[in-house]
Amino acid sequence: MGEPSPPARGGREAVAAPGRSGPSTSALLLLLSLPILGFLLLPSLIIVPMSLTKGNVIRFPPIWISTHAFWDFLGDDRWIASTLTSLKVGAFSVVLASVAGATAAVGLHRAGFAGKSVVLALIMMPLATPVIVLALADYIFFLRVGLVGTWVGIGLAHSVIVTPYVFVATQVSLATLNPAQVRSARSLGATNVALLRFVYWPTLRPGILAGIIFAFAISLDEVVIALFLQGPNATTLPVQMFTSLEYDPTPKVAAVACLLLAVALLASLAQLGLSARAGSR
Amino acid sequence: MIPSRVREQAAGPKGADDAAHRPKAGRHLELLGVSKSYGSGRLVVRDVSFTLHPGKFLTLLGPSGSGKTTTLMMVAGFETPTAGHVRVNGADVAGLPPNRRNFGVVFQGYGLFPHMSVLQNVEFPLRMRRLSQDKRRDLAMAMLDKVGLEGFSGRRPAQLSGGQQQRVALARALVFEPDALLLDEPLGALDKKLRDTLQAEIKALQARVGISILYVTHDQDEAMMMSDEIAIMNDGQVIQMGAPADIYLHPRTAFVAGFLGETNLIPCVHCGSDGKIASVKFTDGTFGSGLEMRHDRERGEGKAGLLSIRPEAFEFLTGMATAPNQIDGRVSDYTFLGRHERYVVAALGQNVIVSQPGQGRPRVRIGDAVRLTWAGEKGQLLSRQT
Repeated sequence: MGEPSPPARGGREAVAAPGRSGPSTSALLLLLSLPILGFLLLPSLIIVPMSLTKGNVIRFPPIWISTHAFWDFLGDDRWIASTLTSLKVGAFSVVLASVAGATAAVGLHRAGFAGKSVVLALIMMPLATPVIVLALADYIFFLRVGLVGTWVGIGLAHSVIVTPYVFVATQVSLATLNPAQVRSARSLGATNVALLRFVYWPTLRPGILAGIIFAFAISLDEVVIALFLQGPNATTLPVQMFTSLEYDPTPKVAAVACLLLAVALLASLAQLGLSARAGSR
Repeated sequence: MIPSRVREQAAGPKGADDAAHRPKAGRHLELLGVSKSYGSGRLVVRDVSFTLHPGKFLTLLGPSGSGKTTTLMMVAGFETPTAGHVRVNGADVAGLPPNRRNFGVVFQGYGLFPHMSVLQNVEFPLRMRRLSQDKRRDLAMAMLDKVGLEGFSGRRPAQLSGGQQQRVALARALVFEPDALLLDEPLGALDKKLRDTLQAEIKALQARVGISILYVTHDQDEAMMMSDEIAIMNDGQVIQMGAPADIYLHPRTAFVAGFLGETNLIPCVHCGSDGKIASVKFTDGTFGSGLEMRHDRERGEGKAGLLSIRPEAFEFLTGMATAPNQIDGRVSDYTFLGRHERYVVAALGQNVIVSQPGQGRPRVRIGDAVRLTWAGEKGQLLSRQT
């Protein structure tokens, strides 16, 4: 998807190469996969023309063509504030998640104890729990401690759901760690700190970074928890979009959606780059 | 903790050069009654004791599961002995973690750091010992020079051949002047030819650097070729220890005789001895002789034993000649193997393997009745118990 291909025949060749099958097979494959790709992508891409409308109401088809929605977004304090909230929430939750997820993965990798599988299941549980249940629980709990309506509260709640992603990404890189490296470093005089810095970190860095990118994208996108825990000073971008659709359906919403799409695209490209670099080593 | 010797030599302006010529202060590595069990009570290492003298090459040789690697790991500090002592120059190191012991360890697979250059890999132990950048560069380059990799300092391990990686691992384990070098099947992943070359290189390197080496392998040829002393291990115990020739010529048990080289074990009954050579009676009533058992308590007339005779100790008797030690049999197989040739002779109800220097045409033909003989001092009488 993200690979830079020469414009004309690049796509066809890319499809034909791996299977080494005749041109008719690859044509058939292309014929079949293009509509599926379109089916998957079009609903998201429709946002792009909608954001470029001249009018003041979000609609399809758009009235060509203006970028005023983007400028309106940048000039609107409320939207800028919610963008900043989203970034703060994302950064905070990612910091917590990467510390918790990466250290848990390393710790569990090295340890062998009876309840290990239980701990593993607990860490992965947020993935299986319905988000609405988490949101409700967070709401009730944070009400008591006064964290409802704060970006810290949303960040804390998000860190719980994104930790498994960092954890799994770290685990995957740990699998590539050669135990002889760890033991060699030890016997050569490495303390625990040196071991982390010189052996674990270089091996785990691509995995942790990939996990961080993924975790940030998920936090940026999350709406259920953010909706429950929102307040006047803590409205994330998706929540802001949701409410404006109800009360103020301007093309700004489409413009923001466009920007989010661009961020998501950049994130996947970055991830591809990371794994390509890890693979080339 | 910086080992004082590294500090000393690093202090001098030409420290790295001096180190090559200075005789090393010797260190004794001593294991005393070391045992290890993992909770279940079964001992994977049982009462192992040995001393590695300064500058010597000691090999722990045994089949897989014999406890040799566990023993090495207890020396390195990765396993804690359940009982016994590990001493360096008399000081017990059993309580120290691996990074505070001063051993150079090379693992199977080497464990080179892939993200570091060859030079950075070799500098690593010096960096851990907080030597200045200049000193560790000098020492590391000098060591790379000694292993013949001075031109490869900028490469990554992945850009080196298996043999070169092996040499980097050795350089890294030697550069901080450890008390001893511990090698855990370091040649296991390499092909036969490269292995032979590296065996010679390790020996040469040892001579140059003057380090004691504790070596673990299951390859008897490797052990014979490299060691000053071999400790044969089986089932967690050291069965026999000694110079390679001594163990080969005078195995103590049938297991040792069979594990270190090939041998023929012929059941017999002890029937007299002059103290050095024992005479025995085989199942068919004929007599033979071999060196007396090494355990006094196993000796004695009428006791059952096994006579171990190496394949190359046999000779064919021609014509009507007779000899004090002789058994009759029939040739059932012949193989030409270049340097030597191998006969299988059915005798005394078993297959007896005979090895003769290769000459390309069989001395006797398959199906021939033959008479085998051996010199009494080339046989070794063993206990029936393994």
